[in-house]
Amino acid sequence: MDLAFTPEEQLFRAEVRAWVAANLPSDISRKVFNALHLSRDDMQRWARILGQKGWLGHGWPKEFGGPGWNSVQKHLFEEECALAGAPRVVPFGPVMVAPVIMAFGNAQQQARFLPGIASGEVWWSQGYSEPGSGSDLASLKTRAERRGASYVVNGQKTWTTLGQYGEWIFCLVRTSTEGKPQTGISFLLIDMQSPGVTVRPIRLLDGSVEVNEVFFDNVEVPAENLIGEENQGWTYAKHLLSHERTNIADVNRAKRELERLKRVAKAEGVYEDIRFRDEIAKLEVDVIALEMMVLRVLAGEKSGKQSLDVAGLLKIRGSEIQQRYSELMMLAAGPYALPLIHEAMEAGWQGDAVGALHCAPLASTYLNMRKTTIYGGSNEVQRNIVSQVVLG
Amino acid sequence: MDFDFSDDQDQLRDAVRRWVEKAYTFDRRRSIVADGGFSADGYRELAELGLCGLYIPEDLGGMGMGPVEGMVAMEELGRGIVLEPLPQALIAGAVLSAYAPPSLASHWAPQVARGEKVISLAYQERAGRYRLDARATTASRKGDTWALSGHKSLVVAGDNADAWIVSATIDGKLALFLVERGSQGATTRGYGTIDGACAAELMLHQAPAQRISDDGLAVLGHAVDIGIAATCAEAVGVMDQTLAITVDYMNTRKQFGVVISSFQALKHRVADMKMQLELARSMSYYASLKLHAPAPERRAAMARAKYQLGQSMRFIGQQAVQLHGGIGMTDEYIVSHYFKRLTQMEMVFGDTLHHLGEVSARMQDSAGVFA
Repeated sequence: MDLAFTPEEQLFRAEVRAWVAANLPSDISRKVFNALHLSRDDMQRWARILGQKGWLGHGWPKEFGGPGWNSVQKHLFEEECALAGAPRVVPFGPVMVAPVIMAFGNAQQQARFLPGIASGEVWWSQGYSEPGSGSDLASLKTRAERRGASYVVNGQKTWTTLGQYGEWIFCLVRTSTEGKPQTGISFLLIDMQSPGVTVRPIRLLDGSVEVNEVFFDNVEVPAENLIGEENQGWTYAKHLLSHERTNIADVNRAKRELERLKRVAKAEGVYEDIRFRDEIAKLEVDVIALEMMVLRVLAGEKSGKQSLDVAGLLKIRGSEIQQRYSELMMLAAGPYALPLIHEAMEAGWQGDAVGALHCAPLASTYLNMRKTTIYGGSNEVQRNIVSQVVLG
Repeated sequence: MDFDFSDDQDQLRDAVRRWVEKAYTFDRRRSIVADGGFSADGYRELAELGLCGLYIPEDLGGMGMGPVEGMVAMEELGRGIVLEPLPQALIAGAVLSAYAPPSLASHWAPQVARGEKVISLAYQERAGRYRLDARATTASRKGDTWALSGHKSLVVAGDNADAWIVSATIDGKLALFLVERGSQGATTRGYGTIDGACAAELMLHQAPAQRISDDGLAVLGHAVDIGIAATCAEAVGVMDQTLAITVDYMNTRKQFGVVISSFQALKHRVADMKMQLELARSMSYYASLKLHAPAPERRAAMARAKYQLGQSMRFIGQQAVQLHGGIGMTDEYIVSHYFKRLTQMEMVFGDTLHHLGEVSARMQDSAGVFA
């Protein structure tokens, strides 16, 4: 047992840190540190910079052009990016669909799709949830019917994150109604420029447009876009979910945001208020405990002996912590969290703020973060899974 | 970074677990509680396993092992809610061999390792609560030795100890001393504690003492931190077993014609208990792996760990009783004894609010395992 990273790992960290410091545009990191609005261009610019270095698919094995890092190296890379103020990599291409294409796609599909994902050129979206299929995802109804060399897709997806920018979407579609719901699902890649695809943004409670409805009206999809075998899509989707188990806990961002919370609390004069300060202290312990859990999982992936048997715990705890720091930041601002001035959340705004400028996005972030215990398998569904493991 | 146990550590765990399962049965424990909460035989058996000398170097008759071995042993003792206080042996062994004058160390440390002598830390005072710098006990020079006067409180197994490590001030500065049982002017008043173990008040009136260290606050801080790490590890064992007992019960007990583990409200409680257990285990690892860090870093780490463990212990203990229903309230059924042990352990070496205060006071701009 040893808490320290090896000298090689520390050297690796230093290399990543130096590279990020030299290559992350400061206008982007400034926005991240201050929770200001990130445009499509900001996200895409950083993705392309990573892509040129070969690090956008930082979890990829060497045979597909990735760096072939182990779990600890991946974690160190993510930590250095987060602490330096890099935007989160939009995961749908490099983190979510790419591993499925690598594991279950054929050689032509790999050659066709992976380069655009690795370079950051092509924006991918995820088509899983439907209006009637949230936690019960396997009940999904979007149909794909085989007609000759094509599938014809009809139905609706929803909660498609950043789908307004999407060029391609990977979808779970129903290709059979026989047997159990899980057995009739296929994994299909769809060009969002295809006739019959309509994207309708959903305005969220904080005023942001982050998620979308995606409608499919007789959309013709070449059969060559089917991943693996027909009716095996559920298996592939589960593979995707088992990938990057520590990613959703996002402990690195939590550390960065905890630092921001302390800055905001100091600026707003509540850091010396013992009642408030103790709430930060509790969160500090929560973050360290989460980080220790993450490290246990990572070390287990490296050594092959898993010391934490339930990954769902990371999702539950990580999401609760994300909500808590956003909540405490809002409370630190107090009444000055209340004015809603959307322009004040854009970089470079020169207008008159009400209260300190750093207060402007705090309530919106708090409102937005309520999503974290809902998405990626709601925390209640996660608790069902955890309890099944414990109760046997 | 590595959280695997070595083969030797696995063997140590197996040996202690086998002893707990075979030799330290619930019936035996019950009879020890009835007899006052401490068994000299039980303590000697810990020594025979090599545990009392874990932190004592080999040239002083110990095993010369580290915090991870201590953690492994404590987890397994926790599983069986063993009453005999191994943390006191770990503290005494480490303090004597690292800080005491050689003559004192070479006299006492081998006897601690062999389980022939029990030495207990006496640092708490009525007015001091959990603070280390309680200073109502004073030391004055008496020829070659010292004389201590004061009243130490809540000394673990204090009535069964052969000597005590006592904090007392010399001209206002804290120092550590060794006081032997039977010394004139040293008397104890023992009592049971809520977990079935025992403690004592230690009254000193010009009691003869030998000085361990002038740097009392630093050494006491180290001693208490060894105790915190050991208690955290023990708590993990207790909680692990508490959850296992609760899960067994839920999978057996039927109401409304089905086992109660089929109810979602109760399933989610189990998930929350598992969460607290794994957070606690993570922070227990953290505590033990930070036990050799420089003092400020070590102290901060122990406060964080004990804060998490305190919360976990209270939650898991309370929920275990709740999920058992009425049977959880009885003395006869095992789970209430685990609950009481958890309640006790939350309040030794600083309770949850105390350590929250420590974390809060030590907060820096950055945070994290490596900050």
